Amino acid sequence: MRNLQPPLSRRRLLQAAAVGVPLLGLPTLLAGCGADSQAGTGRRIRVSQSVDPTTLDPQKQGGMTTMNVLINLFDTLTARDVHNELVPRLATSWTAVDDHHWRFVLRRGVTFHNGERFDAQTVKFSIERLLDPKTQSPIVELRYVTGVRVVDRYTVDFVLDQPDPVLPAKLSLFGGVMVPPKYLADAGDEKFAAAPVGTGPFRFESWKRGVSIRMRAYEQHWESRPGYDELEIQTIQNPASALAALQSDEVDLVTGLVPDAALQLEGYKGVRVSSFPGLRMSYLSLDTTDPAFSDVRVRRALNHAMDVPLLVKATLNGHGREVPTMIPRESFGFDPAIAPYSRDLDQARRLLAQAGHPDGLSTTLTASSTDATTAQAISGLLTKVGVQAKVSLLDPSTYSQRLTSDNRKALGPMYLASTTGWTLDGSSPVQSNVRTGRRQSRWTNPLADQLIDREENSIRPADRQKAFSSLQRLLSQEAPFVFLYQADTIVISNDRVRWTPNVIGHLALQSAVRDD
Amino acid sequence: MTDLIASPAPAVRRTGRNRTLSLGRTVLGKIVSSLIVLLVVATVAFLLVRISGDPLALLLPPDATKEQADQLAAELGLNQSLFAQYVDYLGGLVQGDLGRSIFFDQPVVSLIGERLPATALLAVSSLVLSLLISLPAGILASVHRGRITDTIISGIVLIGQSTPAFWVGIVFILLFAVRLHALPAAGYGSVAHLVLPTFTLAIYSIAVVARVLRTSLAEELSADYIRTATAKGLTRSQVVIGHGLRNASLPVVTVVGLELGSLLGGAILTEQVFSWPGIGRLTVEAIANRDFPLVQGAVLFFALVFVVVNLLVDLSYTLLDPRVRLGR
Repeated sequence: MRNLQPPLSRRRLLQAAAVGVPLLGLPTLLAGCGADSQAGTGRRIRVSQSVDPTTLDPQKQGGMTTMNVLINLFDTLTARDVHNELVPRLATSWTAVDDHHWRFVLRRGVTFHNGERFDAQTVKFSIERLLDPKTQSPIVELRYVTGVRVVDRYTVDFVLDQPDPVLPAKLSLFGGVMVPPKYLADAGDEKFAAAPVGTGPFRFESWKRGVSIRMRAYEQHWESRPGYDELEIQTIQNPASALAALQSDEVDLVTGLVPDAALQLEGYKGVRVSSFPGLRMSYLSLDTTDPAFSDVRVRRALNHAMDVPLLVKATLNGHGREVPTMIPRESFGFDPAIAPYSRDLDQARRLLAQAGHPDGLSTTLTASSTDATTAQAISGLLTKVGVQAKVSLLDPSTYSQRLTSDNRKALGPMYLASTTGWTLDGSSPVQSNVRTGRRQSRWTNPLADQLIDREENSIRPADRQKAFSSLQRLLSQEAPFVFLYQADTIVISNDRVRWTPNVIGHLALQSAVRDD
Repeated sequence: MTDLIASPAPAVRRTGRNRTLSLGRTVLGKIVSSLIVLLVVATVAFLLVRISGDPLALLLPPDATKEQADQLAAELGLNQSLFAQYVDYLGGLVQGDLGRSIFFDQPVVSLIGERLPATALLAVSSLVLSLLISLPAGILASVHRGRITDTIISGIVLIGQSTPAFWVGIVFILLFAVRLHALPAAGYGSVAHLVLPTFTLAIYSIAVVARVLRTSLAEELSADYIRTATAKGLTRSQVVIGHGLRNASLPVVTVVGLELGSLLGGAILTEQVFSWPGIGRLTVEAIANRDFPLVQGAVLFFALVFVVVNLLVDLSYTLLDPRVRLGR
């Protein structure tokens, strides 16, 4: 009988190994996993957004989702407050010395998280690092800046090769971030990007890619210490998962969702859905060289036909505001005297008939697949006046590649797009969409170009406003776009955490409040 | 007598030395063919991601100038000819350099290395869970073939195999996270975070392994040698486990190997649903960002996992069953 017992064969050993090895590995992996989750001490706010930061070096990124994290670790020279006003931050005041020099007076007594002092040399170093081609910074806002001159320990001059009236506003986010010269020299770029040191209200604690970034309140912050001890920004891509995480109390605040998603949470106890005016402006871009859209009557007809309030109600659950032309309401240059197009289907049909389309016309409406619902709703509204717009959806990366390509026709005769001009100055949307020769402009009008040059090259606000007003009247008459809306910023939180974003909607969470 | 049980149809016996030699040659052959497979995968991945479009548009802000785009293209080597880029890429591969992620500005190797523990943890825990359930279930079903136990187990298996993992994941989240507040819905960092994704991912493997084991064991149990063993007076469990299971293990090992391969390859949907920071999710992000080097690196990594797992499965055949001779 003994013979019948299987000997300890190779196969046995192999079987044992196959089962045993993973099991041996498991406790280590689990331990590594658990060590990570050690809860910090103190009051904590956990926020989710859908995208991970690309890097923690603030000068090597140009995206809002990354900036949303970094704005808590770093300070900028200027800032936008909750009322959207440009206010002092690391700079206490600024003046245009002449067309080519902006002077900034700096705040005293500011220190980096490693104790390094902030002064004029810091500004010079930070700006010149950004401008240095070796840095490969994708930040474009400071393109007219040639350098920084130190006047005294707490005063600097920005030197420009052409006038830039928007410079102080441009220093309120990406371009205005201050980095520590000494730490960068000692640690090098790689280490800085892995463990950043700033002067911001929070200091860096840890970053687990794809999971979360943790920060702790910086006790010595020049302004005031935040009202809680720990800030954690988690990455949760899937909107449904983010909402589930809120409902199961793993995050306190969910950002970056569309109003549609918020609808799911209506009626849930302990969940607060808040909507704030937002900057992101949507529009249809028309190819004015297309046979149909070269006729201004057709372009006006489309604007008359587009029932924007209904669109906002249907696709944003009412959380949006109609915008009359291409300058958002909060931006410098917006002129409230210019009214949006009237909703007038008869007028639209009449204009189309005059333009030689008594039976309407057929065209294509291109959009990113993330905007599928909106594009379909727009197409539906247009059919009311006989315009058949076939919706063509592209995956987001193909869409954005074609949007920025040099081929103006890459997205077809009509496409749905949106823009956020975080500088809150009208120049940013018109620069990239209207001025002749820009990558996204598909309309040529010498008068418009003149007006844009006038607002851009003058530092007197009154002159600029006049140019902007004329430009908006022209845009409204010529209708090279179908003007749509600014979508609201949606913040979903549990009822213990409150936070009010400004119109830009970036996640400066210093002002968030935890009630318990 | 031993022969009768372990190898009912013994192959021509070789001397020990000969056998080791042939095994060595077989392994070498397998490794060479694996390397060829990897080269083909690397080449196809290289070409495909380049057909898909230009990463510059996604890296630069919309109002970036042409000069900035050109400068970036030069820095990333995207202005070189396709052939030059390919040679460059292969040259790097030989030295174990998968290039640098465009989007994250980090070496691809370190990005994959960073995400590997999460994926490995999930894969291993799912596999362990699935074996713990599927092996007893498969044995029970085959032993009680045609009876009610078998019908119930087979029914559950069928449901498990035909239910999409992401749907199971969403149902789990709704039930255990949102309703019961028992487990976290998303994230990574503690044992609790591991539970839902592990179960979600294991369901399919449980079904596959149980089904294969049931079929293959049932076949063995109706073989002549089993009757012989039973006739000799062995208990039922000795017969089933000691004899039948050993001979039924080949197809099971194959399936388990393949399952481990696909689990390690990143169960993309499950990682998405649970915000699990593994390689599957990294790959999806890389594709969305047109991050050429990272997509190539991830594809190559998946290929490597499958090649290695296949190699191990093949080798385990020769060790498990002397009847199997590789490479012939």
